[in-house]
Amino acid sequence: MPLYLPIAELSMNIFLVIGMGAVVGFLSGMFGVGGGFLMTPLLIFVGVPPAVAVATESNEITAASVSGALAHWRRQGVDVKMGMVLIAGGAVGSFIGAQVFTYLRSLGQVDLMISLAYVLFLGSVGGLMFWESVRAIIRQRKGIVPKPTPREDRHKAWIHALPLKMRFRKSRLYISALLPLGIGMFVGVLAAIMGVGGGFVMVPAMIYLLGMPTNVVVGTSLFQIIFVTALTTIFHSVNTQTVDIFLAVLLLFGAVVGAQVGARMGLRLKAEQLRALLALMVLLVCVKMGFDLVVEPTELFSVGEAGSH
Amino acid sequence: MKSLLTILATMALLLSGGSAYALVTDLSNKRIEIRYSFNGADLILFGAVGSSAVDPVNDDFDVVIVVRGPEAETVVRQKNKVGPIWVNTDNLSFPSAPGYYAVAASRSLADIASDAVFASYGIGFDHLPILARTSRGLAAPEPEFRAALFRLQASRDLYRQERDDVTHVGEGLFKTDIRLPANVPVGEFLVETFIFKDGGIIARNRIPLTVDKEGFERAAYDFAHGYPFWYGITAVLVALSAGWLAGVLGKK
Repeated sequence: MPLYLPIAELSMNIFLVIGMGAVVGFLSGMFGVGGGFLMTPLLIFVGVPPAVAVATESNEITAASVSGALAHWRRQGVDVKMGMVLIAGGAVGSFIGAQVFTYLRSLGQVDLMISLAYVLFLGSVGGLMFWESVRAIIRQRKGIVPKPTPREDRHKAWIHALPLKMRFRKSRLYISALLPLGIGMFVGVLAAIMGVGGGFVMVPAMIYLLGMPTNVVVGTSLFQIIFVTALTTIFHSVNTQTVDIFLAVLLLFGAVVGAQVGARMGLRLKAEQLRALLALMVLLVCVKMGFDLVVEPTELFSVGEAGSH
Repeated sequence: MKSLLTILATMALLLSGGSAYALVTDLSNKRIEIRYSFNGADLILFGAVGSSAVDPVNDDFDVVIVVRGPEAETVVRQKNKVGPIWVNTDNLSFPSAPGYYAVAASRSLADIASDAVFASYGIGFDHLPILARTSRGLAAPEPEFRAALFRLQASRDLYRQERDDVTHVGEGLFKTDIRLPANVPVGEFLVETFIFKDGGIIARNRIPLTVDKEGFERAAYDFAHGYPFWYGITAVLVALSAGWLAGVLGKK
């Protein structure tokens, strides 16, 4: 059944759209990730203009993060102060990202930037995650229990040397506000140019760089994703008018159903196995994007309207 | 069906009182509306030609119909290898390329008239006058880029040549179906009909056509482009409430 999308200005099969939402929702439910890094490339792959894919996916991620964030909120799993600082950084980052996006789009280089960003970030994050989970699986087989690092040694010396120290009670941290501001900004840029929530960068950064306790990491990350993707949606709407609400809602509908099934599947697997599988999936998307950059395209020419599409 | 009969009746009237080579054409629908279920449309054009009042045309004649969509600046980009990857390096802008261009004919164009005739009227992919923006101002485009524009737009079904037929109904009447794909641009179109006889044009006329988004689709598009900030806010509010609703339903 075809459905005409008035902002994307194309006609798509409604079942294809909901199906894509369901598949990505299933995977994100299983692995507990947002799924933006899967959905945006998938949308581009089925023919949605990259600018529309990125902007619309931001809008969908806002919706997809709400219920998770609420659940963590009820469990006291959100460090609001830390979240606010991350959001402040994220607002600046997503503004910059959206400007860069608009500029590169006018040059016809936005597809290249999206691909490069995916290859770079998915490659490094996926690689690290894969290595870490494989090591954990091997250790478990051998029966080695890693020694926990004491809380005092969590930060490197340069982190303590930063000015503007701030107390974050919920995370039991006393660190410079510049660090979460910087991380938030970086993730904001990624959100605006890649059409992702940025959890795959945010969560490791919170654990390894900030040293936040794990019980507030996911909730705080979701909390900041809601605001940053909401801002990104508005920036893209204003700059390029590429947010298609209808596409976003349809994707969300599929994703909600898929995530329920995926979450149940996820319970049957061990945490390390899940992480290794997720890492493989991240690397797969990265390789596909990289492959398309390197292999000679069958059609060297492309056509676009100036100033739009 | 009723409108079809009216068209035919009108044509018959016009034909009976027509001068030499009178040509009348009409569209089944002068306004194509894009709605949520839009998956492209077929443009149906009827036409009739007569040579004189006494002797309605029974001789052979050929019909070529050209449909042009609204002009828009279109950029063609070319990838080249930079280091290990393929990057858009060159581009050429066509400030007024038609967003849609279709040529339908009753026979293959080569059989109807010579290349020179089509060239003088600018009919067909090879002859459509189209200029590119260069450092020297508007000029004829590099053939590579011009060919790429037609090839790519043809692959998106937006430029069409000899893909839509014109059929003779008889007694000087003809009819054609021209496909407007789902990705057709909105705006004012022009449908031109050329009647050929013995390799030359004996009659021509043009009628306008409008393609526009309607109803909800129109409203959404106007909202997104007219009030982008408020559209963004709305998108966020919709997302927040949909996400909240999904969470509530998901728990059950």
